Amino acid sequence: MSVFESPKARINSSMLSQYISRPVCFVGRVEKVHPTGKLFTLSDGEGKFASVELNEPLDEELSGVLEVVGTVSNKGIIMASAYNILREDKGIPFDLELYNEALKVVHDFPQHYPFEIATSG
Amino acid sequence: MTVKLTEGAIEALTKGSEVTNPLLQILNIRYIEVGSGADRLRVMMSDGLHYMSSFLLATQLNSLYEENHLAPYCVCMLKKSFTNTLKDGRYKRVVVVLDLEVVRSAGEVGGKIGTPTPYVEGKSNCSTSFHLHYFLNGDSQNVFVLSERLGSAAQFPLNSVDSVCQWCLSLCLRWTVRVRVTNKSSIRTWSNSRGEGKLFSFETVDESGEIKVTAFNKEVDKFFPLLETGKVYYITRGKLKVANKQYSTLKNDYEMTLHSETSILPCTDDQGLPMVQCDFVPISQLEHRDKDAIIDVIGVCRSVEDVSRLTTKTSREVSKRDIHLMDSSAKMVTVTLWGEEAERFDGSCQPVVAVKGARVSDFRGRSLSALFSSTVMVNPDIPEAYRLRGWFDKEGYALAGQSLTEMRSRGGGANTCWKTLSDVTTEQLGQGDKADYYTCVATVLFCRKESCVYQACPMAHCQKKVVDQHNGLYRCEKCDKEFPNYKHRLILSANIADFGDNQWVTCFQETAEIILCHDAESLGRLKDTNEDAFDEVFHKANFTTHIFRNRVKLETYNEETRVKTTVMDVKPVNHREYSRRLISSIRKMAI
Repeated sequence: MSVFESPKARINSSMLSQYISRPVCFVGRVEKVHPTGKLFTLSDGEGKFASVELNEPLDEELSGVLEVVGTVSNKGIIMASAYNILREDKGIPFDLELYNEALKVVHDFPQHYPFEIATSG
Repeated sequence: MTVKLTEGAIEALTKGSEVTNPLLQILNIRYIEVGSGADRLRVMMSDGLHYMSSFLLATQLNSLYEENHLAPYCVCMLKKSFTNTLKDGRYKRVVVVLDLEVVRSAGEVGGKIGTPTPYVEGKSNCSTSFHLHYFLNGDSQNVFVLSERLGSAAQFPLNSVDSVCQWCLSLCLRWTVRVRVTNKSSIRTWSNSRGEGKLFSFETVDESGEIKVTAFNKEVDKFFPLLETGKVYYITRGKLKVANKQYSTLKNDYEMTLHSETSILPCTDDQGLPMVQCDFVPISQLEHRDKDAIIDVIGVCRSVEDVSRLTTKTSREVSKRDIHLMDSSAKMVTVTLWGEEAERFDGSCQPVVAVKGARVSDFRGRSLSALFSSTVMVNPDIPEAYRLRGWFDKEGYALAGQSLTEMRSRGGGANTCWKTLSDVTTEQLGQGDKADYYTCVATVLFCRKESCVYQACPMAHCQKKVVDQHNGLYRCEKCDKEFPNYKHRLILSANIADFGDNQWVTCFQETAEIILCHDAESLGRLKDTNEDAFDEVFHKANFTTHIFRNRVKLETYNEETRVKTTVMDVKPVNHREYSRRLISSIRKMAI
């Protein structure tokens, strides 16, 4: 899938509207999982929410902090291609608020964080 | 036939007004010894209305006295004179007589003309004849003046008639000062072979400076309850003497003593009076001050430690608290408070703290200690405090600040001195007289495995390398003994780097063991038994990242002076803290 081959901007909920139809990486805490298992809500480091939609229903229990890779739909929902649970029982607990601060730095100084690679052809 | 003296001449001359050829009667004449051969004559003269003793004869007139033309009761005409105003306008003037003519000899006159009264400028009417005794000091440079009447003595350079007059008059004239009490001691009693008594002292300031005041015995009862620190008083007729610098660090050559004729009145007008006189030393300058120097300091209290209790050598329990001050030199220093002051201190809201009379210590680099005689002021009402507050709120709060006091490195906080390895070069750390300490995050690039393990003396606390005697014994030169065994110890030479620069450092036993993740003994054994495993230890250490607390200093070895870095402590990186610090630095740089 092209999502995995292109650079993905790390964003939080406030930035969703600016990334419509673009590949993104979203890190947030699991809030609610829809009974169908195909939709769930995450909260970011600022406490704001984002909705994530999956192609296939979940086959596991979701909790804690998640990293989701996908594309933002024109309704502002993240159409997930893959997700990654950042396990709390391993390593240092993930500091979502601190992550959000770092994210803001990356976005405030794009000249120092040139993550967009020009794809040729 | 009585001659008429020029009444009013004394007053006029004293005031410096022109008087033409006044006729004055000499009432008294005596030598002041001011130098080898150059004796000066001091004359008490009368105009019939007043008399004044501050007349000095020019030395060319001395012969008149020596030839007995000038004697008490003779009448003279002052042909040429000038009036010298003493430095302090409040005091009297001295009339120097350059030329006079004897009009009537003492014998002809026979007695005092009229009933002159002493003339003194100002309201007070006290006599100004002090009956001073002058002694020329052995070195012939100074004159020692003694006044039994005033109960005081002092030493003055030759020809300093002004100072002598000033001193005399300061001892008896009725002057008043308006001062604020800045520090009041408790009452202290003494009892020795000569008797017993009590005293208390207090420090005062006015617009021009500061002075210490002491009261003894009866004056203690009279004035101790009246005086309050911070309040303003009029003090009249205290006694001045040369300050005993052993007991006071105030900037004044004199100090005041209260006596039975002193009066102290509260004053409600504190216009123009400072709250305290301080000569603050910037914290960055403390490195250049000597140990045990007494200085004043002011800074924002960024953090405080908890109160701890110590038992002194005399088995007394005392409280102590360290506070950390930072001033606009962006340097920090630790100040130790004691006793009640330590217990009471409230460092919340990061107050401005000023300490007057703190002692400089070389404990842990440079630190300060509040003494019994120090004054600790929290948020004092002085201009420097407001300036510091303004600076801190605007920019100081964001600065990390380097502390002159070596502190136990904690994971972070405002006390740690974080540097990058390129900072070490640009800031020329370690190149001053003293060692510099800094903390950095760096990655191990390379460790020298040759000669990192050595055979050391097995005695506890001895780290000296032993010499292999090749007979199964190992000799320690320091302990001057031979042993059948040794212990393995580490000295690791490693190269660490960050994004900006790299640095060769030396790690001793404890820090080397952390980096290599191996204790010295097992590593020593591995070296002898399993070379591959030994090499592996060093490979694994490469590219590990740690927080290094380093000490850097100029060292001379074999005539070569180089900057050498020693690792004092190694800790794992606390990523959250590190991230926060980086984000904070980025934001600060962006301003």
